[in-house]
Amino acid sequence: MLWVDKYRPKTLDKVIVHEDVAQNLKKLVTEQDCPHLLFYGPSGSGKKTLIMALLRQMFGPSTDKVKVENKTWKVDAGSRTIDVELTTLSSSHHVEMNPANAGFQDRYVVQEIIKEMAKNRPIDTKGKKGFKVLVLNEVDKLSREAQHSLRRTMEKYSASCRLILCCNSSSKVTEAVRSRCLNIRISAPAEDKIVKVLEFIGKKEGLQLPSGFAARIAEKSNRSLRRAILLLETCRVQQYPFTHNQAIPPMDWEEYVSEIASDIMKEQSPKRLFQVRGKLYELLSNCIPPEIILKRLLKELLRKLDSELKHEVSYWAAYYEHRMRLGQKAIFHLEAFVAKFMSIYKSFLIATFG
Amino acid sequence: MSDIRKWFMKQHDKGSGNGIPAKPKAPEKPAPVSSQPDQSGHGAQEGAGRRKTSKYFSSDKQKPKDETCVGELSLKRKAQNISTEETNDVKPPPGKKVHNMDDDDDFVLSTSTNALDATPSKKLKSGSGRGIAKKSMDVDESGDDDVKETKSLSKAAGRGRGGRSGSGTPARSSIAVDESDEDGADEKAGKSLKSGTGRGRGGGAASAAPAGGRGRGGGGRGGFMNFGERKDPPHKGEKETPEGAPDCLAGLTFVISGTLDSLEREEAEDLIKRHGGRVTGSVSKKTNYLLCDEDIEGRKSAKAKELGTPFLTEDGLLDMIRKSNKSKTTKPEESPKPVDKVLASPSKKATPKSEKKNEVGISAKRMETKGSTPGGSSIKQKKLVMQQSLPWTEKYRPKVPNDIIGNQSVVKQLHDWLVRWDEQFLKSGKGSNGKKQNDSGAKKAVLLSGTPGIGKTTSAKLVSQMLGFNTIEVNASDSRGKADSKIERGIGGSTANSMKELVSNQALNNNMERSQHQKTVLIMDEVDGMSAGDRGGVADLIASIKISKIPIICICNDRYSQKLKSLVNYCLLLNFRKPTKQQMAKRLLHVANAEGLQVNEIALEELAERVNGDMRMALNQLQYMSLSMSVIKYDDIRQRLQSSTKDEDISPFTAVDKLFGFNGGKLRMDDRIDLSMSDPDLVPLIIQENYINYRPSSAGKDEHGLKRMSLLARAAESIADGDIINVQIRRYRQWQLSQTGSLSSAIIPAALLHGQRETLEQGERNFNRFGGWLGKNSTMGKNYRLLEDLHVHVLASSESYMGRTTLRLDYLTLLLKQLTDPLRVLSKEEAVEKVVEFMDSYSISQDDFDTIVEISKFQGHPNPLDGIQPAVKAALTKAYNKGSSSRVIRTADLITLPGIKKAPKKRVAAMLEPEETLVEENVDAVGENEEENSSETEESDETVDPKKRLQAELESLNSKGIKVEMDLKGPGSSSAKKASAGRGRGRGRGKASSEASAEKKGGRGSGAAASKRKR
Repeated sequence: MLWVDKYRPKTLDKVIVHEDVAQNLKKLVTEQDCPHLLFYGPSGSGKKTLIMALLRQMFGPSTDKVKVENKTWKVDAGSRTIDVELTTLSSSHHVEMNPANAGFQDRYVVQEIIKEMAKNRPIDTKGKKGFKVLVLNEVDKLSREAQHSLRRTMEKYSASCRLILCCNSSSKVTEAVRSRCLNIRISAPAEDKIVKVLEFIGKKEGLQLPSGFAARIAEKSNRSLRRAILLLETCRVQQYPFTHNQAIPPMDWEEYVSEIASDIMKEQSPKRLFQVRGKLYELLSNCIPPEIILKRLLKELLRKLDSELKHEVSYWAAYYEHRMRLGQKAIFHLEAFVAKFMSIYKSFLIATFG
Repeated sequence: MSDIRKWFMKQHDKGSGNGIPAKPKAPEKPAPVSSQPDQSGHGAQEGAGRRKTSKYFSSDKQKPKDETCVGELSLKRKAQNISTEETNDVKPPPGKKVHNMDDDDDFVLSTSTNALDATPSKKLKSGSGRGIAKKSMDVDESGDDDVKETKSLSKAAGRGRGGRSGSGTPARSSIAVDESDEDGADEKAGKSLKSGTGRGRGGGAASAAPAGGRGRGGGGRGGFMNFGERKDPPHKGEKETPEGAPDCLAGLTFVISGTLDSLEREEAEDLIKRHGGRVTGSVSKKTNYLLCDEDIEGRKSAKAKELGTPFLTEDGLLDMIRKSNKSKTTKPEESPKPVDKVLASPSKKATPKSEKKNEVGISAKRMETKGSTPGGSSIKQKKLVMQQSLPWTEKYRPKVPNDIIGNQSVVKQLHDWLVRWDEQFLKSGKGSNGKKQNDSGAKKAVLLSGTPGIGKTTSAKLVSQMLGFNTIEVNASDSRGKADSKIERGIGGSTANSMKELVSNQALNNNMERSQHQKTVLIMDEVDGMSAGDRGGVADLIASIKISKIPIICICNDRYSQKLKSLVNYCLLLNFRKPTKQQMAKRLLHVANAEGLQVNEIALEELAERVNGDMRMALNQLQYMSLSMSVIKYDDIRQRLQSSTKDEDISPFTAVDKLFGFNGGKLRMDDRIDLSMSDPDLVPLIIQENYINYRPSSAGKDEHGLKRMSLLARAAESIADGDIINVQIRRYRQWQLSQTGSLSSAIIPAALLHGQRETLEQGERNFNRFGGWLGKNSTMGKNYRLLEDLHVHVLASSESYMGRTTLRLDYLTLLLKQLTDPLRVLSKEEAVEKVVEFMDSYSISQDDFDTIVEISKFQGHPNPLDGIQPAVKAALTKAYNKGSSSRVIRTADLITLPGIKKAPKKRVAAMLEPEETLVEENVDAVGENEEENSSETEESDETVDPKKRLQAELESLNSKGIKVEMDLKGPGSSSAKKASAGRGRGRGRGKASSEASAEKKGGRGSGAAASKRKR
């Protein structure tokens, strides 16, 4: 088992990174009243861990007995019935799902699952909670319609069902939904916290961590605890015992994106644009989300760019990212950004160096 | 003056016959340049062009006037700096109209300027665009050289140089002027030349010496490879198209052969037709001229030589047209009559038949003149008033069978069939009440088929009427529903169906020996539209035919329609063909004359061609046009019916080619929209795939490719716009945006980047690729499904709760390392053991392993599996499969509800077939599966060795006589393999479901047994 999962804190008490949040949550639950919750924060900060620990706190160890289901809902949408299929992860006390995966039909899923839960209310509430918990992941990727349909069902069925929403950015969750929840921000752990965790794991695994090595990993991890732990293990697989200046291998896709960036910087021509398109396709078909590609690409480009262009390029990146979200075929927008960058950079080069 | 024209025509005939050029022109050549040395270059040029034609016909005082006018015009042009790309297409309407109505000196000016427009504009181009004028010069020169060559080569072919020299003159002078203007612009000239030759001609001609262009083209044409495809004319669009008298070519028949110098085949045809000439496909005795610019020794030229048909070059043709104009305009007192004479003269040689045709033309002319006289028109007017309310299609519906155009033999057949019907089917039927089927060869019904508007219904009615039948027309399109439904019930005898009644009534009549009663015929119109509404219509018609005592005529459009397959066997099949355009034109002319409409036959033939043999449509069009005009010319018909010919299908590739083509910038907006809309899904994709490959002609001089890059960026943004709009259209059904969408996804990128295509990769063919997005997107979809499978499996291990994206972005690198690194580093057994253990801990299956490897592959990066011995890999597979039985329960966590998925349900049902009760139990289970599933899982979790339990239960089931599918035992191996042939998703689900059903069955089996016992 990977260390990330092996050393994941199972209870709220064992949480290292967000102790204060964990304690507050514990108090909240033990007072028998749990409002709807909205966890938000960057990836790798521990939202999911906290949620699972919280559920365990609420319902005891039976939450661990989960089953994975590939559920299909038949939704009656006016004239036709739509089959919506989604993977759910459920125990007897909670259901976890990622409605954003249902694409455009996400709103039906949200409504249906909540109604279904409300129907199957546990009869025996003696000593137990009288509600089930629905954990919805990636709420920020829900369509606006789904979020609107969520807010009504949230109130209507609040007696039998509590929602725990989880997302990266609360700004993409509608105000209405946010105001119905207790918002809990989980910030990215500070680097010294990450170092602490890494050293903890190192001690448990009996590893010899050279001084400063954990700090380097923490720095490289971009303040994502998950990535830090994964990196540590990757290093461990790659080479052990650790050395001081051991290279920390990048993710495969990150490596590829930086290759693209250097391609773009080296030459700005239609031919190169064509090659870059091929590489972008490669990334996309390897399931890298286009937003992440664009973000990473910008980061790589900015690192190599003259400072006077940085502002403009960032502006265009944001511009095309926005449009990418509006659109459907991500490659068009990525390509448009690359073409734009090439155009800007080329004219800059010619203006400066002739 | 007409004498001169006649003389010229003869001269030309002679000239083209024996290869002597029209001499009088030769001395004239240097004259304009020398006589007006003070004039600017283009002025001289114009002078040449102008004088060449005007010398013989115009008075002296007219000339300077003309020239000043031309000078002014060209100056104006220059000032405006109009891009005159469409010179050849531009038809100045006022000039023509006026010219037709009135022959005045003033209009010589207008027409001549029109005719000369091209010259100054060409010059203009050289002013602004440079290079291009040079190009034209070069090419012209080459053309001339070429002609000389070919002339010397093929004198025997009797190829005249008369026409050629005519247009050669201005070209020459332009050479002189241009050369003095700009020297040493070789580079540009070369460039423009390239562009002039265009894409169509392939690479070779572009780089070749200009003079070689034609010759090579000719050679290529003779070759086998290019069979069936015609090259672009070498000097396409470089000559102005003259405006001549509208019927200066009337009565002449042309055959076009080979590639012409500057006109496309269609253009030439159009030109001839517009001036009243006729174009036919093959050379016959009637042919007056064979229009060709080079002797390619084809069948046409051989035939022409055999028949002594004179050859005519394109320039000769243009001259003919130009001359006619001059002669007419300078001789205002001449009325159409001499034109007729002129017409008659060449056709004298032709057979009397063609003469007759000319006569028709003349008589048409007479009609026109007559029409203007008050007496004739008043009578017609009266008639018009009387019958104005009727549409022409009704008004001129044939009254006797002989009036029907074409298909006379079919009509005859129909007639004969109808005549013989009675004796064939009823004579013997007298005694046996029609029971006797006389179907030896003869059919009781007839099926007329053919395209709409060619007179099927009309002939059916006419023939019946002529034979004294009483026609009853059942028009399927309006009475179908009623008739049909009642036919069906009519068989049962409940309702009096009109048709059935009809059929039996006749029988009664015959029985009563009252043959004096009118005979009846049933016309079933549009039978192919009949069975659309309800079934059995055709079948019942057949039944009716079988028992019918009256003849039935069925009419349909498509005989091969699936619906009529059964009917065809009971009918005599008569197929109506489209009438020829000559036949139609004759009839249309008749109608037009009767209506007092002035139309010439050529125009009507064009109309007939455009409507595609549909007489009804032709008449309707004619009537419609008669509302707004009393004189209809060839051009009117062309314009009016232009849209109807455009309905051709073009492939998205052709559309993209056209949009991006070198002339892409000259397309009209609605043409572009049409092109991009030809396939609104594929065209944008192909454009997106290929726009990088085009070198935009609008970039002009582009040192560092900077302009191109910025154009690319703009195009890319526009394409991205198109994507956004597409989302609005598809997702939010904003279909009103579809034009905007095609504008931004196809038209704008094409407008920005149209130009020459170049290859970006070595070995790539220089053709547009198919849009790559579709393929890549489906790969992406597949990979996402595979990833989802992996994700579900990892979730099922209940070790981690990461999302799919997280799994891909963060975990995958390490997972891959954990899975592959040990295989590389450690010894075989150790490695395999470690990897299998790891796979088990995350319930990663063998397929998931492949998925991880597949998704981590990047082009240009080493394969993650490199460096792993095949033996180790095999050992891994083996070890995994061996241990697969132990992980049944883990993957069985993936429970699919049997009630929802169809496949597993079937399987469960099949498995439980032998015992009825169990099937019922299973159905119950489907209903209650919700709660039971959870309880079962809890149960199974609690059991210490679930696998053993399962096994035991399976055995118990076996003992009960239930056949259990063996693949349940090894879900990792056989079932997975079976499923892996299918889609990724299906695989995961299929496996999950089979395992689920295994688990389920186990649980249910015991549960059912227990419940039975309880009961």
